[in-house]
Amino acid sequence: MKTKTKFLSFVLCAVLVVTSCFAFASCGKKDETFKIGVSGPLTGGAATYGIAVKNGAALAVKEINAKGGLFGKYQLQLFTYDDQHNATLVSTGYYDMVQKGMQASLGCVTSAPCAEFADLSAEDNMFFITPSASNDEIPKNTNGYQLCFSVGIQGKGAAAYVEEAYSGKTIGLLYCSGDNYSEGIKDQFKENLKTVTVVEASFNDGDTDFSSQVNALKDCEFVFMPIYYTPASQFMTEAKKTANNFKVFYGCDGFDGIETGVEGFDINSVPQKVSYLSHFNAKATEGKAKTFIDAYKAEYNEEPIQFGAAAYDCVYAIVAAIESKGEENFKINMSASDVCDLLTSVFNSETFTYSGATGSNMKWNKAANNGYGYVDKSATEYVVKEAN
Amino acid sequence: MNFLVTLINGLSLGGVYALIALGYTMVYGIAKMLNFAHGDIIMVGGYTVLVALGTSGKPIFTVIACVAAIVVCCILGVTIEKVAYKPLRGASPLAVLITAIGVSYFLEGLAQIFFGTNAKFVKIAEMGILHIGGLSIGWDTVITLLVSAAIMAALTLFVKMTKTGRAMVAVSEDKAAASLMGVNVNAIITVTFAIGSILAAVASIFYLMRYPTLNNTMGAMPGIKAFTAAVIGGIGSIPGAMIGGIVLGIIECVFNSTPLAPYTVAIEFAILIVLLLVRPNGILGKKRREKV
Amino acid sequence: MSLKKNAFVKYYLIYVIFAAIIVFFVALGGVLPRSFLSNSLQMAIAILLSLSLSFVVGFLGELSLGHAGFMCAGAYLGGKVASILAAGALGNGILTFIISVLVGGIVAAVLGVVVGLPALRLKGDYLAIVTLAFCEIVRVLFLNSPKEAFGGAFGLETPKYGSSGISLQMMLILALLLVVSAIAVFRNIIRSKHGRAVTAIRDNEIAARATGVDVTKYKLFAFVVSSFFAGIAGVVYSYTQSRVQSSTFDYNYSIDILVMVVLGGMGSMNGSIISAAIITFLNLKLSTVLTGNLAVAKDLVYALILILIVIFSNAPSLRSFREKYNFRAIIERLRKKEMDPADIKNDAGSWDRIPTKIEMNEVLSTDFKVQESTMNPDKEAK
Repeated sequence: MKTKTKFLSFVLCAVLVVTSCFAFASCGKKDETFKIGVSGPLTGGAATYGIAVKNGAALAVKEINAKGGLFGKYQLQLFTYDDQHNATLVSTGYYDMVQKGMQASLGCVTSAPCAEFADLSAEDNMFFITPSASNDEIPKNTNGYQLCFSVGIQGKGAAAYVEEAYSGKTIGLLYCSGDNYSEGIKDQFKENLKTVTVVEASFNDGDTDFSSQVNALKDCEFVFMPIYYTPASQFMTEAKKTANNFKVFYGCDGFDGIETGVEGFDINSVPQKVSYLSHFNAKATEGKAKTFIDAYKAEYNEEPIQFGAAAYDCVYAIVAAIESKGEENFKINMSASDVCDLLTSVFNSETFTYSGATGSNMKWNKAANNGYGYVDKSATEYVVKEAN
Repeated sequence: MNFLVTLINGLSLGGVYALIALGYTMVYGIAKMLNFAHGDIIMVGGYTVLVALGTSGKPIFTVIACVAAIVVCCILGVTIEKVAYKPLRGASPLAVLITAIGVSYFLEGLAQIFFGTNAKFVKIAEMGILHIGGLSIGWDTVITLLVSAAIMAALTLFVKMTKTGRAMVAVSEDKAAASLMGVNVNAIITVTFAIGSILAAVASIFYLMRYPTLNNTMGAMPGIKAFTAAVIGGIGSIPGAMIGGIVLGIIECVFNSTPLAPYTVAIEFAILIVLLLVRPNGILGKKRREKV
Repeated sequence: MSLKKNAFVKYYLIYVIFAAIIVFFVALGGVLPRSFLSNSLQMAIAILLSLSLSFVVGFLGELSLGHAGFMCAGAYLGGKVASILAAGALGNGILTFIISVLVGGIVAAVLGVVVGLPALRLKGDYLAIVTLAFCEIVRVLFLNSPKEAFGGAFGLETPKYGSSGISLQMMLILALLLVVSAIAVFRNIIRSKHGRAVTAIRDNEIAARATGVDVTKYKLFAFVVSSFFAGIAGVVYSYTQSRVQSSTFDYNYSIDILVMVVLGGMGSMNGSIISAAIITFLNLKLSTVLTGNLAVAKDLVYALILILIVIFSNAPSLRSFREKYNFRAIIERLRKKEMDPADIKNDAGSWDRIPTKIEMNEVLSTDFKVQESTMNPDKEAK
């Protein structure tokens, strides 16, 4: 072997040894903060959601700390990790945050990485409540909860809505093939339909051309679109170009952000009625949602989307749950597993409810959901705009 | 009837692919390098249009924006060539490929820092719709196709008729021999990149006119698709790029309107593989005999 | 003198190093932090991938942009077999792992034949786009697969280290053993007549054919062996994830592997190993260091490093600079010792780095002073 190769391998070994020493060294450090971690895409195509969650959570942490913190004396500390919407990176981020002392967590922002997170955290009994990873499988372990609606709930809800409004008629369905959020809702939606006939069209992630889909659905009055707002805006723009019967575009929580998420896109130029099933009202004029919206705008100078609101609620829910148990049952240097036992006992109890920006009287009843930590709260049809 | 609509949609998409593929094939044909950053130059063109348009809706700003995109892309293309590719002249093609990938990542990262990853909606111009006997076809589609055809013709003439164009052919055939014949190889390659980047800017304008959503990775997939189109048409062949683009656009729209839609990408690539096995040099590509 | 002994040491040093690493993890795996073990596991997977791609790109001389496709097939099929076996009598043990590794490897190898066939007709960039296309086809097929078969859009649930059966430490040791076996296989192939045939095709296909090398056979051979190990890497990957998701295996992943191979130096196994380890380690470290608002800088830093390294190590105009300031030259200067050319010729470790038409080898080979013209008479031949 060449000297250079030898040298390089030596460097490599040295680097490994040094970093492992650092890793050990950081274990012993203790400080008096309660540490919450969240992993999400801060870069790449899904970064909008990750950044919104990071901002929402950071806002909640800042507000709580300004009031003195947990029990009025323990400051909160937030760790964020950029998983780039890539499940492969989650273990690196998770182990890193655990090493830094994470005691409770918001899981991951998107479903694919969160499935990995759910597995890793189950082994450590690390509590997580995800603000936005909506796949049905995410909260299957004892330590996992969702604050957003699961895709199953959304699909069923949308089906119920459609059955009521369009009984016996034909509606359009546009979904993103290969996307677990979109396909998950689509499957549940179709399963729960009884009298309504569906015309389907699909696109692939990253497609820019929606002319074929518009053409396929053009005879439908009502189009259900369990997709994210960027492709939705592209579809609506394309629909303006040809003759069609579209009257209503109806979406799920992925639609949230359609008014402000795509800069320059004017939703009011879309002639159809646009509405979606949601837990967050971005136009709220009262209550906690309003407080959140004002605080978010003041802090970040932009309109919040539901991802931010949900993350904000997650942090508050964790704090509320711990505080509800009383200070005598809590110690700042509790292990993650003890924190998890404490939190799950609160979340699973009949009496604990939480009201925040994304809904009132939220409950989590694992016993009623076969052990899945789905959220129980009311969804509303949020009307973005009426038909022109 | 429905099939005709699909066909028109395919033409519309194909026109955009063709425009991008023309730039790709130009750079590949002369410089013999797979310019992975071509799609990202389109992206930069898009952001330039966005910034130059500002909030004003005046038509004059549209013209300014288009000119700005062309100038910025041209300067960017030449700079990239000088900084990242020129030092590697004579090195392995693989090294240049990796640098091109690096440049591509770099531009995407830079755009992410400046503009974030949120999609932006760019309204360049509202085009009307042309109605022909019950069929409607957007004027943007018609104009895109006409512009692609005009550029194809102009490039063909340029390469065949002008001194610079013939020098380009010479460089693409054999760099060493061309330089012995008095052709300034470096200058010719710079000119090629300038033209390729101008084409990218033009493509970005028509792309956004048709599909007005812009983000920092918008160039990646169209770039790959356009390269596929260029290969289908026979890479290096200017009319081939046009044909390849339109063929690919039609294939995509035809399959998108069938239940096979989720597999569209797979089908496109499968067709590419089969075509290359039957005609290893694409539809219009020339077969070159390999000499020892 | 010590020449023979020297060559012996050079040849076996890599095994000694890996043996030491394995012993290190056997002894200390229990007390090391999990992040360290899991990062090392990612590095082992990357090494398997870059080793296997290096055989096609560096030794056969064909550009492949579809390596992630083989890995994807291996991960899905191996993972599927593992999940079936784990639910059955075998349980989630080492035997299940070994069987699924073999299955994943064989499936990928079969796909290697499928991709190798176009490689017989196509060259250079055409082959690159075909391999890229192949990778995307595999990805799309698994993405839209039926839920019952391969999990569909949400991915296939596969056995994972830790939860039961194989611990993270055990998994890492198994992965390292696989790396060592891959090194042994590739080294022995390259030193055999088959390996020489493969490199002969790279250096001049027509000349190789003229001298009686069965080009068809050896091209397929190279693709098959390479994809076999990529499939194995896929199975190991599937054991690191609770779900195998096909969106991971897009062409960008193939490009990342290619970058490791190219930066490691074409036609250098050791280079591939080291660069795969360093790049993966850097990426994982960057992702935990640059978090929060700094996350956006990560892509930029990576891109800049990539461009600078490629230009530095390949630009013809920097050749003299490189010759003066590479590690070996600096060390030699420190030792103030001249290399004896005879040493080089008899150095068993050096022959695979003999300068060839693919001139990327400067990363590792400019450092010995052999006249290129004598080593490579066909340099200017077209």
